[in-house]
Amino acid sequence: MNTLVNVARYHLVDRLQYVVLPVGVTFFAFGVNLAIFSLIPETPEENYSGGLFTLFVFMLVCGAMSMTKSLPFGLALGVSRRSYYLGTLLLVIGLSALYAVGIAVFQVIEDATRGWGLGLNYFRVPWLLDGPWYLTLLTSFVFLLLMFVYGMWYGLIYRRASVVGVVLFGAAQVLVLLGAVLLFSWTDSWAKLGEFFSTLTVGGMTGVLALLVCLAGAGGFATMRRVTV
Amino acid sequence: MTPTISTTGLTRRYGDHTALGDVSVDIEEGKITGLLGRNGAGKSTFLRIVTAQEFASAGSVRVFGETPVENERVLRRLVLVREDQQFPDFKVRHALSAASWFYPNWDAELAESLLRDFDLPTKRPIKKLSRGMRSALSITIGLAARAELTLLDEPYAGLDAVARQLFYDRLLDDYSAHPRTILLSTHLIDEVADLLEHVVMIDKGRVVLDAPADELRGTAVTVSGPALAVDDFVAGRRVLHRRKIGSRASVTVAEALDPSAKAKAKALHLKLEPLSLQQLMVHTSNGQTAEEASA
Repeated sequence: MNTLVNVARYHLVDRLQYVVLPVGVTFFAFGVNLAIFSLIPETPEENYSGGLFTLFVFMLVCGAMSMTKSLPFGLALGVSRRSYYLGTLLLVIGLSALYAVGIAVFQVIEDATRGWGLGLNYFRVPWLLDGPWYLTLLTSFVFLLLMFVYGMWYGLIYRRASVVGVVLFGAAQVLVLLGAVLLFSWTDSWAKLGEFFSTLTVGGMTGVLALLVCLAGAGGFATMRRVTV
Repeated sequence: MTPTISTTGLTRRYGDHTALGDVSVDIEEGKITGLLGRNGAGKSTFLRIVTAQEFASAGSVRVFGETPVENERVLRRLVLVREDQQFPDFKVRHALSAASWFYPNWDAELAESLLRDFDLPTKRPIKKLSRGMRSALSITIGLAARAELTLLDEPYAGLDAVARQLFYDRLLDDYSAHPRTILLSTHLIDEVADLLEHVVMIDKGRVVLDAPADELRGTAVTVSGPALAVDDFVAGRRVLHRRKIGSRASVTVAEALDPSAKAKAKALHLKLEPLSLQQLMVHTSNGQTAEEASA
């Protein structure tokens, strides 16, 4: 356990990448949104800015970086691949929890102040993060986790097979989606799929995301086992 | 006693290129062993497999009697300083504090004194360091880790002669005070020859020499003098290399000379020069090439 904590600390040496930049950019975008909304004389009913999305993209990049730039020195410090991966996961879980709490808290404040007095929905995302605070907390936690773990997998693919591998990896995922599309067409299941999504609750969606986290996590771990530096 | 590192038939292939072919060596505990060889001979691949940063295609490697692969009991007890070590976006002091968390025997005082000696700016980002400074940082980590098995892979890249001497001195000082197993890969053999107790030479992925350094120092001799006398003297001996300039010849024989042979050489007014380790490596790898060419 001690080793895993140290791996998490090792990543956190670069606080700029994992904490300062994601939080800073999120709030910078928030500030810009506030400024714009205060200038617009009449705001429409539903104002969703989508600026929060930057945080999720940052997580994807952080995930990839943790398995590319930081990996060689990490493994040189006498850490096994397993510990390195699990220690990074520990950090990911911690950061995702922290940021999810942040999103939920700011969403509550946003609601209480009627969108910061301007009718702005910055910490509220249509459908996905649009429920009670505990669902926002859970969904954003799982979604942040997914972005990070997915990024880690990409980083590991890059380490093992460079750019060609990353392109093939992306192409393989497109093929899987294409296969699913064909399967739905052949079996005339589009209606059923539509029904599935139209009845899917945010809670159910969070479950789907959690499944994807497990999938990406397992895939990344399997890729990690044979990575060389 | 179990050797600190023991490999059997260790092989690493990249496509149709064999970086390491059937390497079986034992590295003994508590000695400084030199891993010598030309660029691309397979030294780094060997060290990376020993530290489980790379995987073997065939054969086995045991470190402290166990496999190093995914084995932190082993990995914690060793340190590898790589010539091409990549660092994250760290400052010098970050790299040192990270190292201090992971190496159980980390000596912060030693690290600080090495930083002073090498004149390393601790607040500077590693990517802004010069090649030599980056080497100095790696060396600092490698020595201050004080790992039972210290592996140094051409750790002096970009260091000037003064800094290299400083490195050799500090290495020897710390080794005397805290004996451990050191495996130093290098092609600057003359500089380290006096440090080495044992020598393993690799050429084209194969071990061509594995012997105590003292034994090797006398194993080859260059005989020079009048060509006729030289030819007479070396007749029947294993000749590594022959060079003739006018009426004078200079022949390297791969044999230790007994006192009577030495007396004979003196009588013939021949000059005898023992081959340095570096020259020995040059001859050994040339010999390999010649054999391959004739095969």
